[in-house]
Amino acid sequence: MSDRGDHADPAFVADATVEVENASVWFGQKVALSELTCSFGPGVTGLLGPNGAGKSTLMRAVVGLIGVNAGHVTVEGRDPRTDRDVHRRIALVPEDEAVPAQLTARQLVQYVADLHGVRDAGAAERALDQVDMMPAADRKLRGFSKGMRQRAKVAAALVTDPPVLVLDEPLNGADPVQRASLIDLFRGLGAEGRTVIVSSHVLSEVERLADRVLVLIHGRLAAAGNQRAIRDAMDDRPRHVLIRSEEPRRLGAALLRMGTVAGVSLTDAGLVVTTDRAGDLAVAVAPAARKLGIRLREVRPLDDSLESLFQELVR
Amino acid sequence: MSEAPATGRSTTSALSAVVRYTVRACIPAQRILLLLPVVGAVLFGLLSRLSDEDVTTAFVRVGGTAMHTLVLPITCLVIGDALLGAEIRSGVFAFTWLSPVRYSTIVAGRWLGGCLIATVLLVPAAVGSALAAGAPSAAGAAAVAAVAGAGAYLALFLAIGASFKRPVVWSLVLVVLVERLLGAALAGIAQLSPGWLAQATLVGLTHPAADLHREGIPDGWAAVGRLVVVSLVGLAIATRRLRSLKPASSAD
Repeated sequence: MSDRGDHADPAFVADATVEVENASVWFGQKVALSELTCSFGPGVTGLLGPNGAGKSTLMRAVVGLIGVNAGHVTVEGRDPRTDRDVHRRIALVPEDEAVPAQLTARQLVQYVADLHGVRDAGAAERALDQVDMMPAADRKLRGFSKGMRQRAKVAAALVTDPPVLVLDEPLNGADPVQRASLIDLFRGLGAEGRTVIVSSHVLSEVERLADRVLVLIHGRLAAAGNQRAIRDAMDDRPRHVLIRSEEPRRLGAALLRMGTVAGVSLTDAGLVVTTDRAGDLAVAVAPAARKLGIRLREVRPLDDSLESLFQELVR
Repeated sequence: MSEAPATGRSTTSALSAVVRYTVRACIPAQRILLLLPVVGAVLFGLLSRLSDEDVTTAFVRVGGTAMHTLVLPITCLVIGDALLGAEIRSGVFAFTWLSPVRYSTIVAGRWLGGCLIATVLLVPAAVGSALAAGAPSAAGAAAVAAVAGAGAYLALFLAIGASFKRPVVWSLVLVVLVERLLGAALAGIAQLSPGWLAQATLVGLTHPAADLHREGIPDGWAAVGRLVVVSLVGLAIATRRLRSLKPASSAD
C-alpha cells in the first residue's frame, strides 16, 4: 500500500503508520464498516461523520479493541488485535464517559504509566499538566464533569508518549477555553510528527483540528482530502429549504421564474424548494414575497445538519 | 517526539500495578458495606449456640454451612463481578486491555487483588463466626476454608466475566443451580464446587460429627488442594477468554 501516496489519492498518505485495507466490521445484521480502505500518517487527520457513521468502530479496530470481520488493519505493519506490543506505540482516548470512578486522575494516569512500564517518575505529572489537570489531579474521577473526564483520559493516553494517538470525540463536554487548549495540544502533537486521528461529528471542530479530513458515512469513505476539498464538495450540493407562507403555490412559481431554485414541491409542512444557490435564495425570497403581497411565516433550511450534508455527498 | 517511549518490560511491576488498581477500584464508595460479611457470619455463628451438639459440630453445621452457602459465594460474587465483568460492561476495562501487559498478568493481578479484598473481608467473618459460636479452636480452619474457597470462586467468576455478557446472571446460575441444586445431589459436581469444597475443608480440619463428612469429595487439606486446582483452571479459562474479548464501550 505504500505506493498509494504517490497516486495522490487523498484517502492515502505516503508515510503511513496506520493502514486500513478493505476493512469490514459488522455486528449481527448491522454493518458498521464496509470495505473501508485508507491510511493515516504523521500529522492530525480528522474523521468526520454523523453519529453511527462508523468512526468509533474504525478507531476501536485501529487500536485492536475489536477485530475486523474482513480485511486488515495494521499499525506500523503489525496487527493491533493480536500483537500486544503494538500498545506500546498507540493510545486511545475513548468516547465513553466511563472511568474508574474510585481512582483519582493522578492514580489513573500513573496506572496506565505502570502498565506500559514508563520508568520516568515525572511522566504522570507532565501528562496531567499538559491538559491543565494538575489542580484536580488528586480528586476522585467520580466527581468529574464530562469535560474533566475527557482531559483525564487524554492525560492517561499522553503519559505513554505514543507515536500514534487515536482520539474519539475528545472535545465532548469541554468548555470553550478547554476546547481551544485541547485543539492547540492536538495540533502540537501532530506537528511533532505523531499520527493523531481525531473523530468528531462537528465540522467546524475538525476544521480547526485537522489538515486532512476523511468523511465516513454508513461505514464507507465518502470523501477525503483537505478541509477545502471537503467544504467544496458539500457546498456544490443542492440544499433544501422550507418556506411557510400564504399562497405557497404562487410564491413557488415566482421563485422558479427567478431561477434561484431548481425545483419546488408542496408538502404538508409548506413549500420545499431545492436550490444550489442558497445565498441567492436567502436574498431573493423576501422581496419576491413582498412583491406578490404574500406574508412569509418561516424560511428554514431543511438540511443544514451535517448528516444531511453528508448524505448529499453519497447520493 | 521521542522515537521510543522510555519504557521497560517488567512483569512484576505490571502485576503489582494491576493488583493495586484492583484493590482501589473494587472497594465500594460506601465502606459500611464492607462490614456486611462479618455481620452476617457472626449472626450465623450466634445461631450455632442454639444447637445441643458440641460447639465444634454445631458451628460447622450451622455457622460453617451458612458461611459457605451464603456469605462466601455472595461476597465473592460481588467482588468477582467488580474484578472484570463490571469493567467490561462499562468500558473501563479498555484502560487495562489497551496495554502491552500479557493477558495472564492481567488475570493474575485481578485475581490476587480480589483475593486480598476477600481475605480482608472473609477472614474476620470466618473467625468472628467461630468465636460467636463459642468454637475458637475452629477459627483457624474456618479462615483457611474461607480463603481457599474465595480463591476458587473468584477465579471462576473471573472466567465467567471474561466469557459472558451477563456475568452476574451466569455466576448466580453457577452458585444456585449448579452448586446448590446439582451439587447437593451429585458428588461429582460437589467435588469441583468451591462452596462444597470449602465446607469440606472446614469439616476435615475440625473433625466434627461423622455425619458432616460427605462421601465422594475430599476434605481437609485435600479439599484445599482441590480448590487450588479449581482456581488454576478458572484462571486459565479467564486468560484464554481475554484473548478473544472485545471490550465493550458504554454505548454498546
